[in-house]
Amino acid sequence: MKPMRIALTKGRLEKDTLALFDRMGLDTSAVRDKGRRLILPVNLPDGSIFEVVLAKAADVITYVEHGVCDLGVVGKDTIAEYGGSFYEVLDLGFGRCRFALAAPKDTDFFEGYTTKTVASKYPNVSSTYFGKKGMDVRIVKIEGSVELAPLLGLSDAIIDIVETGSTLQENGLDVIEDVMPVSARLIVNIACMKLRKKEIESFVSHMEEES
Amino acid sequence: MQKNLRITPEGTRDLLFEECLARRKAESILSNLFQLRGYSEVMTPGIELYDLFDAGEPVIPAESMYKLTDSRGRLLVMRPDSTLPIARLTATRLKDAPFPVRLYYAQDVYHMNHGRSGHNDQQFQAGIELIGASGERADLEMLSLAVESLRICDVGDFRVEIGHVGFFLSLVGQLNVDDDVKDTIRTLIEDKNYAALGGVLDTLEPSDPVDFIRMLPRLFGGEEVLETAWALCSNTESHAALKYLSNLYKKLCALGLSDHVMIDLGMIHQNEYYTGVIFRGYIEGSGDTVISGGRYDTLLRRFGSDLPATGFGVNVDSLTKRMLERQAVDPPKPSIVLVHALPGYETEAFVKVGELAYQGMVCEFSVFNSLEEALVYAERRCISEVHAVSDTIKIYKL
Repeated sequence: MKPMRIALTKGRLEKDTLALFDRMGLDTSAVRDKGRRLILPVNLPDGSIFEVVLAKAADVITYVEHGVCDLGVVGKDTIAEYGGSFYEVLDLGFGRCRFALAAPKDTDFFEGYTTKTVASKYPNVSSTYFGKKGMDVRIVKIEGSVELAPLLGLSDAIIDIVETGSTLQENGLDVIEDVMPVSARLIVNIACMKLRKKEIESFVSHMEEES
Repeated sequence: MQKNLRITPEGTRDLLFEECLARRKAESILSNLFQLRGYSEVMTPGIELYDLFDAGEPVIPAESMYKLTDSRGRLLVMRPDSTLPIARLTATRLKDAPFPVRLYYAQDVYHMNHGRSGHNDQQFQAGIELIGASGERADLEMLSLAVESLRICDVGDFRVEIGHVGFFLSLVGQLNVDDDVKDTIRTLIEDKNYAALGGVLDTLEPSDPVDFIRMLPRLFGGEEVLETAWALCSNTESHAALKYLSNLYKKLCALGLSDHVMIDLGMIHQNEYYTGVIFRGYIEGSGDTVISGGRYDTLLRRFGSDLPATGFGVNVDSLTKRMLERQAVDPPKPSIVLVHALPGYETEAFVKVGELAYQGMVCEFSVFNSLEEALVYAERRCISEVHAVSDTIKIYKL
């Protein structure tokens, strides 16, 4: 049988996941010393091997959804924005932050009859949020620093990921409402969950114990 | 140059040679299986009226259907599913038939997927519907045929997992919550989203059903799942569903299928029309569901015909892909003989082609003006013999 394959979101979640793997007693030296390789072996204490794949957040979902990776570690922000069909089995607890709606200080976002404009890197999260509120807003997708949009007068507010809130502060924005909490999740391909139940369950519960 | 001239629409593709062979092979294996079990083929239109798939409550999500309009401005869809059209034809064309009727189909269905997700928008499905039969025997027939469909295609390891819609419905029916919350719970169980499900349930008053629903996504596996569930739940409806599943499972095991059959109490189908036993099939090397089916006892009421029914569909494209990966398909036969007419002998050469083909040889008629060109072509196409026809036939072996 092929080794199990887990896709990790490159960057901060990767570091936190590797720390978790270390606590689980896995040998992560190959991943830490990866060079330019993208598929790396990790040794389990029982001698078996599984493969770690390093990918961008949205790609983690794509690889797991198509079953070319069995498991994936990805932020809830990415899951909320891109969706997809897979099992979301664990809240890993790290990578904590939140989606928030923020507007320039001393403005009332909800006031008046005019349709408001909201800038975001996460257009789906934004439209779902306002859809639930029954509020019609214009959503503009921004790729880089979203804080710029209200400063330049393009939008009335933004929806973005907020950790400490200091970036917002420095740009004269205030959080109006929290949209949803975010943290890293473990996702599993649906078919793999059924075909490799034992392996996956034991790995997941081991992960749960240490997270 | 015109745009979009050299590409196919997203989610569709051309099939060439081996791919066609593999698809036809899978199709014929399944059709043969269904025919031998007494199923007769039906074909339904590739386009249907939109209303068929959305009568009050949508059966297929509206945004996933390809839509067009007819000459009277009515909304049409490209067939997104075969079960509803077959239910319609049974309730109309077959209303006086002796029931149960056993029908099978092998045709394309269309789903609009998210852009560039890599999923197929056009999918070839083969499946069966057993209409006018309720009860365990009909369910057993369906499940054993679902397992057999995957086994017979020789695609490696596979599983068919069984669940029961009544199980979830009876549990969630005991909760004092509105439909939105029920919907959320349903989705979270379906996604095995343990964390978020826990979050939603924490906001409800603690009770036995709440505790049980919390466990539901984890309740999949072998017979032990049924035992765990039995101990955890107390209402008669859930017990009835468990007992039913347990009987089915035992019979499937007695058929020697225990390695390939699992229970998943947390399975809840997206399609709203299922009412009883539901099941799904998975194969090694494919991330998608390859079989999807179950009992739909109330669906035919929409067409004025109160008939219980059950059925399933197989994603033939996934099987085909797997068969090709496992090289379970014979490569296409190369042309064996090229018949070339020397000037003035075209008719004779054509007669020769007919004779050879009649003997079962694969032969091509040379359209080249010179024998040299014919020989060059034959070599490039790996054709082993060139027959040059004049008063006599000269054979060049390559």
